[in-house]
Amino acid sequence: MKGLLLGVFWAHLVSCVLLVGAFFVLLLASRPMATTARCWDRRLVRGSRLLVFVAMGSGVVWLLVRTAIFENRPQAALEPRAVSRAVLDTWPGLVWLARHGLLVVLAAFLAMRANVAERRNWIAARGEALALATLALALTSASSHAAAITSGTLWAVAVDVTHLVGTGLWVGGLVALALLLGAASREDGADARPYAVLAARRFSRAALIVMLLLMASGVLNAITQVESVAALAGTTHGRLLLAKLAVLVPILVLAAVNRTRILPALSAPSVPVGRATMRRLTAFVGLEAALALVLIVLAAAMTLTTPARHAEPAWPLPFRLSLDVLVDVPATRWRALLGGQLAVAGLVALIASCLVRRRRVPVLAGGLALVAIGAGVGIFPLVVDAYPTTYKRPLPTYQVASIASGMTIYREHCVGCHGATGAGGPLADLRAPPTSRRHAGEIFWLISRGIPERGMPDFGIRLGEAQRWDVINFIRALGAAEGARTLGSQVDRDRAWLAAPDFTVAVGPLAPGALRDHRGRRMVLLVLYTLPESRARMAELALSYDVLSVIGVEIIAVPIHASSEAIRELGSSPPVLFPVVTDGSGDIVTTYGMFAPGPHAEILIDRQGYIRAIWRGEGGGMPRASMVQAQVEKLNEEKSPPPFPDDHVH
Amino acid sequence: MPVWQVALVLNFTLAVGLGLGYAGWGRRAEALDREFGAARAQVERLERERAACGPGARAGEQQWEGRGVVRATYPQLLVITHEEIRGLLPARTTSFRAASPTLRESIRIGDPIRFSLRGTVADDAAVVAVEQW
Repeated sequence: MKGLLLGVFWAHLVSCVLLVGAFFVLLLASRPMATTARCWDRRLVRGSRLLVFVAMGSGVVWLLVRTAIFENRPQAALEPRAVSRAVLDTWPGLVWLARHGLLVVLAAFLAMRANVAERRNWIAARGEALALATLALALTSASSHAAAITSGTLWAVAVDVTHLVGTGLWVGGLVALALLLGAASREDGADARPYAVLAARRFSRAALIVMLLLMASGVLNAITQVESVAALAGTTHGRLLLAKLAVLVPILVLAAVNRTRILPALSAPSVPVGRATMRRLTAFVGLEAALALVLIVLAAAMTLTTPARHAEPAWPLPFRLSLDVLVDVPATRWRALLGGQLAVAGLVALIASCLVRRRRVPVLAGGLALVAIGAGVGIFPLVVDAYPTTYKRPLPTYQVASIASGMTIYREHCVGCHGATGAGGPLADLRAPPTSRRHAGEIFWLISRGIPERGMPDFGIRLGEAQRWDVINFIRALGAAEGARTLGSQVDRDRAWLAAPDFTVAVGPLAPGALRDHRGRRMVLLVLYTLPESRARMAELALSYDVLSVIGVEIIAVPIHASSEAIRELGSSPPVLFPVVTDGSGDIVTTYGMFAPGPHAEILIDRQGYIRAIWRGEGGGMPRASMVQAQVEKLNEEKSPPPFPDDHVH
Repeated sequence: MPVWQVALVLNFTLAVGLGLGYAGWGRRAEALDREFGAARAQVERLERERAACGPGARAGEQQWEGRGVVRATYPQLLVITHEEIRGLLPARTTSFRAASPTLRESIRIGDPIRFSLRGTVADDAAVVAVEQW
């Protein structure tokens, strides 16, 4: 079914693209006067009539196949009610309707055997056909991957429209031009050669601008739809994009040869337009057009594939580059610096080789050698091991239930070798580099497959996937807790780095909320308390709750000893009106106890979701309300808040 | 008719068709959506007014139902952390006037409760009935 869908979508896309390109080149080349050229004009119009029917026919088949997929029943494709549902009740169906309405109008317009002997009538006829075909092609973007972007949809669709229309002008134009050049390079087409050369020169100039627009919109599309190098190399969508780029390279080479060698040879005023050169240009443009049609196969396949940003990347290489090495191994810094300098010198030499006329080859060779040596010197130290799961996204988010579950599993399976703190004996410290710098997906691979040479067993069979991710979340929390030792009762202004694990706040049977619900809105003072030791402090917090609330702080109280009677136990005088967790407090205490152990602790979490200050109760007692307010004021004065932390560890 | 005139008429027809389509269909859909929202709010209000009907009810009085956890009690006030009360308040902690001082006798701090509020506007809504959730 996918093959059929790809085939009909390609046929539809190609026919729309050819329609746009045909009328674009006709208008670009202006009204032909020579007999052969007029024949070409008529041939393009006749071909366009056929193309509109191919576009509509393949569009109808595409709709029927989509209906069958949409309804998950092959026979639905032949049920009028199902097809009508697919057209009228879905957004892609409505876009399909609008596009095919335009194609019907275009078909009717082309079927009209109008007299175009007068110049303005000829321009109106070709211009109107171009406008209708362009509109029908551009509307495809309204139901494309770009239209599914949640933020900045209009911009993404505008970029996609530019890319699609650019493709129509360029690829369709190439095919129309190849037909003109073919006609002109025949023995009886000599009368059209000057016209063909003029058309080729105009198209060459226009194609340069269109190609620049295509590249810019392609890069922007890739940034939106692919997002990362891992997704580019590790997903089907990304690999199709790489294949597209691979096909584009020979096309650009052919275009460059046409533009810099063949066209000037044909355009020189003293040289008559030679048939042999014309045939060479025809062959090159034809080859360029054929490769461009292959490009559209890949583009169609990309449209039918899940965008890379939504797909799980499977990293194809056994290594990756990591700049963290520069931080962890100072000796590598000078090599990276030297390599970078050599590569820059090589690039300068390469640019110079394009500008100089004498000794170009030695300069070019020297530049390439310098770039290669620079890469060898600078890049090799940055190479680290990588695995297929390196960029795999963890199943559970970085939240207390997962961390607490990971702690239980860790104590059962890992503590024997790695120790309770993760820094056990001769093995690598799990909290420190290089382990802490590894991607979560790499640790997932090592836990799943084991490291036989170091005696680490594989847990791929013994633990489920979610359990392995829980262990990774716990290992990350171990590292975070170790780092949190440096956090004290004073907020370090503009320095947010410690992500607060998310948790659920359940007050009685009310619908639970989450810590992340406060992001971007309010700060949170998380209070872990024990009664009766914390009673005085809880009373103080209850009295200052209104002031803290006004300056943007929500207090969330969590009893260290879980109790469904937690609210009642706090008493009624003064009344405690902030949320008190009555259900699920165990996971919060387990996780945040790693950051701030003790019978009483208070943790200040900023609006972005980072832990910014910790008051640990076992030492110098608890802060006064005014002390908390002072730290909150510091956070309120921060001018550039950091981005929200990732919900998943990486 | 010359082709350039045909092209002009065609473009004009498409533009007018698009404009009329939006005016007649798009705007109508928006208006219907607004009307539907207003009608639904009216029905909900009438349902609340019907629920408030009874001996001693004031004109235009409505009744809202809510669920929450008791946080503090006073003779004239009940402080409740509650879920969203449709048509009245979002989920939050609110102090409500108690219609009767005896209401607090049946509840304790920390109790999950269902409660009824009655009033003509949000500001004068008072708790008239409480039961365990």
